[in-house]
Amino acid sequence: MRIACPFCGPRGVDEFAYLGDATVKRPNADAPDALPAFVEYVYLRDNPAGLHRELWQHALGCQSWLVVTRNVRTHVIDQVEAARDVAAARSSEAE
Amino acid sequence: MAETLVARSALRAHVAPPAAPAGAPGFTLREVPDLTLASVAALKGREAELAEAVRAAYGLDLPQGPKRVASGPVAFVGAGPGKWLAVSSAATDFSALPAAVADQSDGRSAFRLAGPKARETLATLIQVDLHPRAFGAGDVALTHAASIAVTLWQLDDEPSYEILMFRTYAATLWRWIVEAGRSRGVEARLAG
Ligand SMILES: [Zn+2]
Repeated sequence: MRIACPFCGPRGVDEFAYLGDATVKRPNADAPDALPAFVEYVYLRDNPAGLHRELWQHALGCQSWLVVTRNVRTHVIDQVEAARDVAAARSSEAE
Repeated sequence: MAETLVARSALRAHVAPPAAPAGAPGFTLREVPDLTLASVAALKGREAELAEAVRAAYGLDLPQGPKRVASGPVAFVGAGPGKWLAVSSAATDFSALPAAVADQSDGRSAFRLAGPKARETLATLIQVDLHPRAFGAGDVALTHAASIAVTLWQLDDEPSYEILMFRTYAATLWRWIVEAGRSRGVEARLAG
């Protein structure tokens, strides 16, 4: 599997470290349902057969954190975005 | 009693042995000593200010992407989004730049490989495509060589390359290059 780092270009998966699910959102700690929300946030993961959004880091490269949209059945990668761009878009949506 | 700290190469002959080819050298391997190195990271919202300061101080346009630009002894190497490695072969103080600047001079070692077999030898250790159509003078790769994290750039079309690694890996990478270069006419020796 090769991942196209937006900065470095396409590289072998051996240069990347996998962090996990990029779809989870940290819940509001002050909300009344914070405890069950955090249990879900920390422990519970979907296991989709198909497209998934995942966090990867180009650890043996430019160190960028990436959000990779990948089909977990075929390893076909649809999209690679800088995680900071995804986070910035998410926070501007929330405003 | 106060001890005086002295900058020393990470290489010694017993861990970084020399090599001499039987015939004409295919390429030379040398340490690049006494480099000034600093990591430079742009501060949020102040990218343009940093670019302007680098232009004013060194006459260089900060590269976008994995590229190297140089003027005189100073070079800037793209090291990630909003990150550069400032390199100088002279004593240069990068700390006045409006950015997060951290000296790396004592943490890294650098080698130079030069000669017609330099590319082929590096290609046995590095998975990035070094063919001239994909990688030329001024191009930079942040990758690994035999699992050792390296920053590699091509200087010219001889071809010659410089490769930077954490200094604790310098002797190991030296031996990898000497071993890979054995059948390619490596001529390697330490300075002095
Ligand atoms: Zn990268």
